[in-house]
Amino acid sequence: MFDLKIVVEKIKGFCDLPMEVGDYFTVRGGKIEIPEGKHMCLWAMQSLMPVLPAKQREISEENDWIPHTKRFICPDPNGGVVFRIDRINPKTGKPVADKDKIPPRIQVNSEVCTGCRACETVCAFVHNQTFNGEKSRIKVEKNEIEGKDNPFVCRQCGDAPCIKACPVEALSRDPITNAILVNDDKCIGCYKCAEACPFDAITFNENDVALICDLCEGDIECVKRCPTDALKFDNKGGQS
Amino acid sequence: MNYGYCNQSLRINLSDHTIKKETLDSTFLKDYLGGRGLNARRLYEEVPPEVDPISKENKMFIGVGPLTGTLFPGAARVNFTAKSPQTNILGDSNTGGFLGPEIKFAGFDQIILEGKAEQLSYIFIKDGEAEIRSADHLKQLDTFKTQQKLKEEIGDNRVQIAAIGPAAENGVKFSGIFCNMVRAAARTGMGLVLASKNIKAIVVRGTMDLGAKEPDKFKKMIDDMDEEIKNHSEYETRTRLGTTQLVSSLNELGCLATRHFQTGYFEEADQVSGEYLEENYKQKEKGCFACTIPCSRFFEIKEGKYKGLKSEGPEFEGLAGFSSRVGLSDIEDALYGVDLCNRYGLDVITTSECIAFTMELYEKDILSSEEVDGLKPNFGNSEAVFKLIEKIKNREGFGDILADGVVSAAEKIGRDTKKFAMHVKGLEIFQADPRGIKGYGLGVAVATRGGDHLRSEPWFEFSEDAKEGKRRFGYPESAFRLEYKGKGRVVKFYEERCVLADCLEACKNTVVNMEIISFKEAAKLLNTLTEYEFTAEEIQKSAERIMNVERAYIVREGIRREDDTLPDRFLNEPLPEECGESAGSIVEIEPMLNEYYEARNWDMETGVPNIEKLEELGLHEIAEEFKNRDIIKIN
Repeated sequence: MFDLKIVVEKIKGFCDLPMEVGDYFTVRGGKIEIPEGKHMCLWAMQSLMPVLPAKQREISEENDWIPHTKRFICPDPNGGVVFRIDRINPKTGKPVADKDKIPPRIQVNSEVCTGCRACETVCAFVHNQTFNGEKSRIKVEKNEIEGKDNPFVCRQCGDAPCIKACPVEALSRDPITNAILVNDDKCIGCYKCAEACPFDAITFNENDVALICDLCEGDIECVKRCPTDALKFDNKGGQS
Repeated sequence: MNYGYCNQSLRINLSDHTIKKETLDSTFLKDYLGGRGLNARRLYEEVPPEVDPISKENKMFIGVGPLTGTLFPGAARVNFTAKSPQTNILGDSNTGGFLGPEIKFAGFDQIILEGKAEQLSYIFIKDGEAEIRSADHLKQLDTFKTQQKLKEEIGDNRVQIAAIGPAAENGVKFSGIFCNMVRAAARTGMGLVLASKNIKAIVVRGTMDLGAKEPDKFKKMIDDMDEEIKNHSEYETRTRLGTTQLVSSLNELGCLATRHFQTGYFEEADQVSGEYLEENYKQKEKGCFACTIPCSRFFEIKEGKYKGLKSEGPEFEGLAGFSSRVGLSDIEDALYGVDLCNRYGLDVITTSECIAFTMELYEKDILSSEEVDGLKPNFGNSEAVFKLIEKIKNREGFGDILADGVVSAAEKIGRDTKKFAMHVKGLEIFQADPRGIKGYGLGVAVATRGGDHLRSEPWFEFSEDAKEGKRRFGYPESAFRLEYKGKGRVVKFYEERCVLADCLEACKNTVVNMEIISFKEAAKLLNTLTEYEFTAEEIQKSAERIMNVERAYIVREGIRREDDTLPDRFLNEPLPEECGESAGSIVEIEPMLNEYYEARNWDMETGVPNIEKLEELGLHEIAEEFKNRDIIKIN
């Protein structure tokens, strides 16, 4: 268990309470401590509260968001008081170094997808030397009446359900790129991975071998060829 | 694995249900390149002048090119070719979207339809095989519903469909073929040719491989091209506005087709422009297969009387056709008009001309309200516009008179109205006024499919680069839209670029307007893609050969120099004062025509290709036929 120090890092709007930059409170075990003579905003505190016990705990799953999330903002839209949560080593009383950022992933924004399928074509071409998107590891589903275009592709889930679902250990994670790798020789075409995939991102080739994005060893062709920002590869949140 | 070409065509006889695969040999492919070229050559050979366009003797050729379905940006296109029921000459229409690539993935460079099905049918083609299925349940369905229903029925969202609407089934001569809902091969009545063969739709699914002979080299060329496109000065405007940018830009030049070409300046252009559409209705950018320039758009009207109207499109021709040309200043009316045409399966250019023509005659008191079924078709009357579209689709009342196109309507109305028919060789012209763009005027006058701009697109005349004009075409004037000198050569050059685009089946945005590839680069691309060797000279020669075969085809149908002209108005009535720099302009066609024939080596008097030219291009049998038919007199 970590102790925590929650500090007012910045005030984007205004706070009449007032909270000031540098104000803080600490969490030691089950206790909250506010420095003498100081106060803490009830509203900000109640919005922070649920996350504090989670931040206190060690989480080993490297893609979990909790260890990487540091900043919370007070719920008053005019306030914009930003609180930073630092983890403290209870023995030394010193801040614990942040974990590395989560690895980047493919992010999809179907709102700006033009439906051109350039991603499919280039994926099939670099992997199988064919222009036919059937062999692509990304597939765009189009609804021409509604003007909806939706690319389906592996998002490199942290706790990848496909790997867990595979009964023959044909799937593994590339330690460098973080991509899910398919061992074609082991894959038995049982579709269990596809059923488990929360993004419907897994399809199969004509030999019933799973097609999963391998991130092109880091130089991702579909992302490069996307004419809008419907496909991005980074670790920043939010859609453009 | 197929490399660029599939080396195969599919011949479907609808009368006796025979389906044959035919090998395309390398000479044919090299001489005619693909798509439009393959189709033109076949049409010349297989559809002689005696054939009635809506009889079972007419044939339809559906061609794709070596780049179709590859990574080349915008190589999404497909040509539909037949003898045109609208013009009785070359019928040829091209569309983008996703059908073309699917035909390639199904294993064909060309599909040929001959004969006539006994009952309304659709053709289902998948991975090298085809079958003819009943389309009884699709009778009179609009193009959208037809496409939706077929997708549901086949249960595969990735099938690609070419469909006709009720207008074609009802015999409207300017009905088109529609893919991906709104992507239309709309010109020259190709929809009616399908209808006359009892074919409601063609459904294609292809899962076969298509590769490049030298994948790494090909990929590298495409990567470089992607870069060039992104850095191109036109890239940003093209992705934002696409062709709809032309409403305001042509209006500024004083040559936007307005109220049936009575002027080139539309006072309310700002409210019907591409910019206005973008700001108020555009939901997102859309693109054809594998295109890195998403120049199309999806729009939605979210409130008011058209609430819920949404679709991909429109392009410039539809937008201006149902705004400035017919005098409508509410963009929502224009969007609705285009949508009606799309769903009924009508060509927006011809439809808007027929309506604008009616409006001018009505305002000039040549036509009475009774003759127009009690409508009061003043310019700007949206209700009249929509009613006329409906009537055309149903061929009812005055719509029946318009449904054969503007030339036929003028003939039926009589009263010297032919001079108001804005067409060349029976095909209605586009939404720009040739008086302000002389090279385009010439291009439209000589286009092999009749009054059409997409056969030449001589954009160079907007460049105002005198030095380049002198260097490329021998005259500094060739770079200026209101000048004449050099335009014959400019048009010849861009005609061949357009042939290249239509044969590779790539978009004219890249190949012609942005000049992304030259003949030399095309040769390099094809040499890494296909199993054949091409040189730049051979490709240029093939483009010229194809131009001459098309010309020979229409010459054999009776076209001569006197048909290479423009409607009276453009030759005689100067553009009015409000048209800025274009004010006072007419088109002096004859000197440009002389220069053009000279550049083409066609006979000055008749416009027939000279024997030497035909021989030089290896078209010996056409030269022979021309002698036998007395088209060329031998001394």
